[in-house]
Amino acid sequence: MASLGFKDGIIREIKRLGSRRMYIFGMVMVPLFVAVFFMSLLHEGLPDEVPTGVVDMDHSAMSRTITRSLNALQVIDISQDIESYDEALVQIRNGSIFGFFVIPENFERDALAGNKPTLEYYSNMTYFVPGTLAFKGFKTVAVATAGGVVKQTLQSLGIPGEQIAGLVQPVVIDEFPLNNPWLSYSAYLCPSFTMCTFVLMIMLMTAFSITMEIKNGTSVQWLATSGNRMSVALLSKLFPQTVIYSAVGLFLVWLLFCVEHVPMNGSMGWMICATILTVIASQAFGTIIACIVPNPRLSLTICALFGILSFSFTGFSFPVQSMYGFLGVFSWLAPIRYWFLIYINEGLNGVDLYYSRYYFAALLVFPLLAMLLMRRLGKACLNPVYVP
Amino acid sequence: MNIFRKIGCWGSDMGRVFRNEFRLILKDFGVLLFFVALPLLYPVVYTAIYNPEVVRKIPVAVVDHSRTVESRDFVRRAGATPAIDIYAYCADLPEARDLMAKGEIYGIIEIPGDYARNIGTAQQAHVSFFGEMSLLLRYRSFVSALTDLQLDMAGSITGEKIAAGGLESLAGGGAAMPVQSESNFLGDTEQGFASFVIPGIVILILQQSIILGVCMLGGTSRERRRRNGGVDPLQVQNAGVLATVWGKALAVVVFYIPLTIYVLRFVPEMFNLPHYGNPVYYLLFIFPLLLSSAFLGQSLVYFMKERESGFILIVFTSVLFLFLSGLTWPRYAMGPLWTWIGNCVPAVWGVEGFIRINSNAASLSEASTPFIAMWILAGIYMLLGCWVTAKLRLGKN
Repeated sequence: MASLGFKDGIIREIKRLGSRRMYIFGMVMVPLFVAVFFMSLLHEGLPDEVPTGVVDMDHSAMSRTITRSLNALQVIDISQDIESYDEALVQIRNGSIFGFFVIPENFERDALAGNKPTLEYYSNMTYFVPGTLAFKGFKTVAVATAGGVVKQTLQSLGIPGEQIAGLVQPVVIDEFPLNNPWLSYSAYLCPSFTMCTFVLMIMLMTAFSITMEIKNGTSVQWLATSGNRMSVALLSKLFPQTVIYSAVGLFLVWLLFCVEHVPMNGSMGWMICATILTVIASQAFGTIIACIVPNPRLSLTICALFGILSFSFTGFSFPVQSMYGFLGVFSWLAPIRYWFLIYINEGLNGVDLYYSRYYFAALLVFPLLAMLLMRRLGKACLNPVYVP
Repeated sequence: MNIFRKIGCWGSDMGRVFRNEFRLILKDFGVLLFFVALPLLYPVVYTAIYNPEVVRKIPVAVVDHSRTVESRDFVRRAGATPAIDIYAYCADLPEARDLMAKGEIYGIIEIPGDYARNIGTAQQAHVSFFGEMSLLLRYRSFVSALTDLQLDMAGSITGEKIAAGGLESLAGGGAAMPVQSESNFLGDTEQGFASFVIPGIVILILQQSIILGVCMLGGTSRERRRRNGGVDPLQVQNAGVLATVWGKALAVVVFYIPLTIYVLRFVPEMFNLPHYGNPVYYLLFIFPLLLSSAFLGQSLVYFMKERESGFILIVFTSVLFLFLSGLTWPRYAMGPLWTWIGNCVPAVWGVEGFIRINSNAASLSEASTPFIAMWILAGIYMLLGCWVTAKLRLGKN
């Protein structure tokens, strides 16, 4: 009997999913489109060639060398030769450059005479990534210029060549960005933002598909199809969706790791497992919200609010550890947080599964919680009231 | 004479639509949630999330094979930088890697056995730093701290050496570097995360909350239309299409005036984010954003079959628009397709212009490109809104 109700429920749900284009749009089209969007947008990995300018007031051999070395850097592109500081500021304000480098008057003469002239550089930090890249390029050249002058002076004093390097730069720190030596933005923005949008859509579509039964007054019939048992009704409704989401999820994993070549240093099998568990956990999240507020507008509002905010408090770009404690707590309520942490462990760092054990366990808590709250939804379904 | 009467008629039609729409907004709790709660609370929540601004004191482990006074001095200096907090000493790299895998540390400093000897003999000493890359922001803090550390070490060690070798004339007394350099940050002078991201996000919040609210109004109206045989009894019946579209848009814009002032004027001040702009400039600047968002919302009602459709069709676009605006990924590095799609979104221009005015103290004329672009979009979406309104009246439901 129970299995019969389950089968009927599934057939009913498949018909419902086919009845409106919105279901396919929200469940399949949006996640795929967003994945393609992020992959094509961030394909370069790092936005090199930041437009910047040089204000050269010295016009000496040394200042021209500095301009040349700035130009030789990959991160910046000296697109403008600017006459004055004020002119450079205007260019910053109208957005044509993101930073500029100032070589003061009489720079070469002062440097060689030991008068310690100052190289100044300005980076527009209102745009974080280009501002940071410009800063990095400018700083490299400023430090190299200073080193070059010291080297030149030491040579003229007759100090042996092998000692000069030890004097100019006694300690060299070699930096090794582990598993992302290209410093690629795509390696961590593509997976996190693609999957976070996917999770947002799963939460919304789950709450939508459940509460629409109440809005349209079909919830009584929905329950009846499944022998008036909420668990069977819910399972038969969500299972066809789980199948669709899992297929989309696997496709996204394939796109991320096999097409875009986001780092995968661990086990692909566990990553796939994590993706399917995240799908189920997100469906459970939407169900939990629909159980607590069985009203389409309110449950969708909560899912949208939480889903959009989870882009921020899940710590893709700003670390959870640096947030205020009470906000960090929210991050543990979001299924995507666990997927992200598993990706960091499995995909990026390739560490043992042992380190991700709690994250997998946490994903399993969501469906359990949804089961506990099911009865509440059952009551609302038997007596559907639509509040606009 | 006739033409004046027509304009007068049009004006009074528009006035009636305006009043009616304003009443509908005030009576609809769901719409008020978008129009009031969203612009009021979201900026506060976002600023709370990002308000720690910079990533400081990141736990790092040390693997010291040198175990000398010099290597301990290096570790002490590293721990004194704002980014690094020496969390643990490990015997070897595998032990440190285990801590990293557990998520207890995000960087490893490895000092080789010949560190002190190299410094003593004026050879270059090499130190390795391994950064965990789950977040680029952490790595960025590390790199900037390590670069300063490297310069700091050069300053003191070279200074000592030069003094010991009797070469003071070179250094001109004390500091070793004959060329100084000075770094200046414009706009977001503290390089804080909130300071950089919030001015852009608030503009996006304005546009998205308007679109969501207008779509909810539109979807609800379409539901009523279906229930009442193709006529929505709560709409002004005999007003022209243009008057209807303008009346509705102006109702939203007028409703948004106090909220806009709150979001643009007071939010940056409340949280001490950059606010160098002239209020007259940015309030004038933002007017076409409000107008074009209201028109865009009315155009999108085409897709809103019911009240709740906006949640599925609109909410996710916020993420795309945030990226198209160039806030995280600069627009100059985008392909032509995304640049052009971005060009069609009012908030993309709004973010660009508002950041220039607010954070870089640009004048309205220096932000004229985005300003004009938003007016053009307002015109296009007004026409589209008229088309959609006419289409819906003709019975598409």
